[in-house]
Amino acid sequence: MQERMDHFDESIGLRKLVLYRDVVLTEAGAAPAQPARRASVAAVIRNPWAGTGPTADLSREQKRIAPVLASLLTGRLVAALGGVDEIESFGKAAIVGTAGEIEHAGALIHTPYFGNLVREFLQGESIICFADTRAEAGETLVVPLWHKTHASTRSHYQTISARVSDAPRADEIVVVAAASTGPRPHPRIGDRMTDPVVTTETLEVVAS
Amino acid sequence: MSVRKIVTVVEEIRAEGGRALDRPARIAVVAAVIENPWAGQGFVEDLTPGIDAHASDLGALLAPAVLDALEAPAEAYGKAAIVGLDGEIEHGSGLIHTLKFGDHFRKAANATTLLPAVEKRGPAGVVFDIPLKHITDATIRSHHQTVEVRLSDAPHPNEIVIALAAAAQGRPQQRLAPLSTEQ
Repeated sequence: MQERMDHFDESIGLRKLVLYRDVVLTEAGAAPAQPARRASVAAVIRNPWAGTGPTADLSREQKRIAPVLASLLTGRLVAALGGVDEIESFGKAAIVGTAGEIEHAGALIHTPYFGNLVREFLQGESIICFADTRAEAGETLVVPLWHKTHASTRSHYQTISARVSDAPRADEIVVVAAASTGPRPHPRIGDRMTDPVVTTETLEVVAS
Repeated sequence: MSVRKIVTVVEEIRAEGGRALDRPARIAVVAAVIENPWAGQGFVEDLTPGIDAHASDLGALLAPAVLDALEAPAEAYGKAAIVGLDGEIEHGSGLIHTLKFGDHFRKAANATTLLPAVEKRGPAGVVFDIPLKHITDATIRSHHQTVEVRLSDAPHPNEIVIALAAAAQGRPQQRLAPLSTEQ
């Protein structure tokens, strides 16, 4: 049911939240051995640094806002994917509106106030892969995901698209957390353990 | 029926026009990406067998899913059929413009009105708007609204995206005079 408006809405300038979730039932005509649910949750907030210059100190606001976003977004992700134990891979992203700097997007996702907390809430250990950009409202951003405890697990390299139709406005930032409950539909490109040694010398033919 | 994937989108609006809402405004969409039942068959004169084979199953799949995603009673609703480039819009229309499809949603939502719809042909990733109207009185102006949707890799040329949308309320900050004030 709909809850009362949370008290943090105003403090972080939250306008809307958008959940995108998909499950692949068949891919290339066959059902995946392990059907994965993937989801992204995007929060649209007011850019707290809109109108400030390139020397503005970002630390105070990032410390105040990023933890709230980490909690909000991971809470929605966990609920959408059936529990934190279900989540195997994760990623993060931000789209800053055209009146902001890419540094503003980075301030909300690339510091411990977001990343460490997302990792903790999703019970991961890996560094979190990311995408960021500056764009007009409605831009689609491809968000990379990898395994939350074993980042080099190749089967879990995958992406999910995030898009909010009317955001970010010029003075807004869209902050995204994303996760998957499993690998790509039919993973079969090996792994670091099965790879041969590949160098220019081991290959018979290398384009020069 | 061959379903490739199911996509759920939930929008929750907290503020509009610079003002917070008294409670979050929620809209949910659930879309199924299916193989076009008439793909590769040329011009099929009689679509009825394909409609009979799939429309009810699609309604039964999507209606409970979209209400689950909304997590609240629906007050407005709508539907969509987005046909891949090799199909006819008539194919998508056939699957959604039948009581066999819509009655599942009407029954699950205790609704009575016809479902407003978008029918469109486009490439994978095409953006489409689903119109929504009130579930028991299509003249209730506060509930006229749309939700914008995009599936990143659907529909393929031989696929159709079939979707249902539900809103738990009218537009955020709705404040237009009702139709009756102009009659």
